Amino acid sequence: MLRIDLGSRVSVYEQIANGLRAELVSGKFSPGEKFPTVRALAINLGVHHNTVAEAYRQLANEGWLELRRHHGAIVRERDKPAAGPDTMERFKRPLEELIAKGLADGLTPQLLAGEMIEAARRLGGKIFP
Amino acid sequence: MIHPPIYIQVTIAGAIGGVAMLNAALLWFMPRLTRPDLYFAVTVSPGFRDEAEGKSILRGYRIELMIASGLALAAFVAGVALLGIGFVPVGFWVQVLAGFVVFYRARGRTLPYAMPPTMIREAEVQEKHNRVIPGGRIAAAGPFVLLAICATYLGIHGIETPARLSNHWIINGQPADFQSHTLLIYLLTTSGTLISLTLVLYGLARWVRPVYASGPERARELKFRRTTAAIVLVAEYYVVLQASWVLFVRSNDGLLRVITFPLAFVFVLVVLVVLARLGQGGSRLQGLKQKSSAVSATPVGDRTPDRYWKLGVFYFNPDDSAIFVEKRFGLGYSLNFGRPITWFILALTLMTPLIPVVAHLSRFLARFGA
Repeated sequence: MLRIDLGSRVSVYEQIANGLRAELVSGKFSPGEKFPTVRALAINLGVHHNTVAEAYRQLANEGWLELRRHHGAIVRERDKPAAGPDTMERFKRPLEELIAKGLADGLTPQLLAGEMIEAARRLGGKIFP
Repeated sequence: MIHPPIYIQVTIAGAIGGVAMLNAALLWFMPRLTRPDLYFAVTVSPGFRDEAEGKSILRGYRIELMIASGLALAAFVAGVALLGIGFVPVGFWVQVLAGFVVFYRARGRTLPYAMPPTMIREAEVQEKHNRVIPGGRIAAAGPFVLLAICATYLGIHGIETPARLSNHWIINGQPADFQSHTLLIYLLTTSGTLISLTLVLYGLARWVRPVYASGPERARELKFRRTTAAIVLVAEYYVVLQASWVLFVRSNDGLLRVITFPLAFVFVLVVLVVLARLGQGGSRLQGLKQKSSAVSATPVGDRTPDRYWKLGVFYFNPDDSAIFVEKRFGLGYSLNFGRPITWFILALTLMTPLIPVVAHLSRFLARFGA
């Protein structure tokens, strides 16, 4: 299920790309499988189709999708990229900000840690069997 | 002045007057047939309609509706008595306009209790293909095949539309004399109507945004959408049969020609009863009250922001890719006037009945010029 919040400060196309990436990472789509059409997803979300198309282009640039004119988007076989030295650095900053927000809202470090492990298991099911 | 026989006048007046009364009855019940988180096209808390303020607004609305319908009925009867049968459609539109004014006033009284609709949007990414049109493409192609069969029969037997069509009336009660009602005009008008209805059918399958992405609410919506699609499909078959019927029956002023009026009344009655039992978007199915979204605890409204609803009934949102959205006050779907395809559908629907008029005028002008 893809969820977006039109009131969020994060742009809509980014939310769509993030949500779809989560679906792809979790292995819900197999390589070669058809993705929903841009128009169908735009209608279901109540946004302009250009917004969804932008999200699809981003996922295509990341190697997740192959965009074929008049044939929609196809899920690609994607090799797992090797994490570089700055990969974790780029990841740590927003993660720390998110954890700080959770702690400020009253969540405990144990709860947050448990939730993170659970999310990692759920999304990367094939990696953590 | 030539007046049609009295039994024809009574049949037409009874059928159109009956539809006007049905319209009044529908408006009476409509506030209870919409989604609970919408009241007079305004997003409110789901329980608002059962609160004192909600009930008071409904009471005022129904009193005004009774007065407006009574006035419309008086105008209808007086118009028919003084100006003849040609006034019947005018009386009908007086009733529709009065109904809108009453709705608009009730909406104004509801606005102070408005709540912001949720900004959350959900979509099922791995959606199964749900068949919306009963019978699929074969059933959708049926009316066109039927039209071709009727047209071929008429062509082979050399039957043309009679010069006078007693189902067309001008304001003084005389039958309109459309000399240009040829087989070609019959084909153009009927196929034009069929194409616009088919666009609506296709739109119900592809261009509707569901309010709910999953769960029992989604299943109810699908049932409502399928029922609406079935009604449009039946209407398509009815259009072909009615148009062909008028051509096949040769007598000019016989009751056989106006039988289509009471038939249309029965059709409208059945449609309203079926849709009212489902409630808007299937919200009355299984006697269950519509729940809030499983994800957000706040009322969801119909996920179309209030500001895009002009006068509470016209949806205008260029940033929404959906062509059809659920009506906020009514049963069925409304067009998104912010999309270009909507104007094409409207133009096609409005221009089709003008084809015989234009053909007649052009022939008249050609004769006048000669």
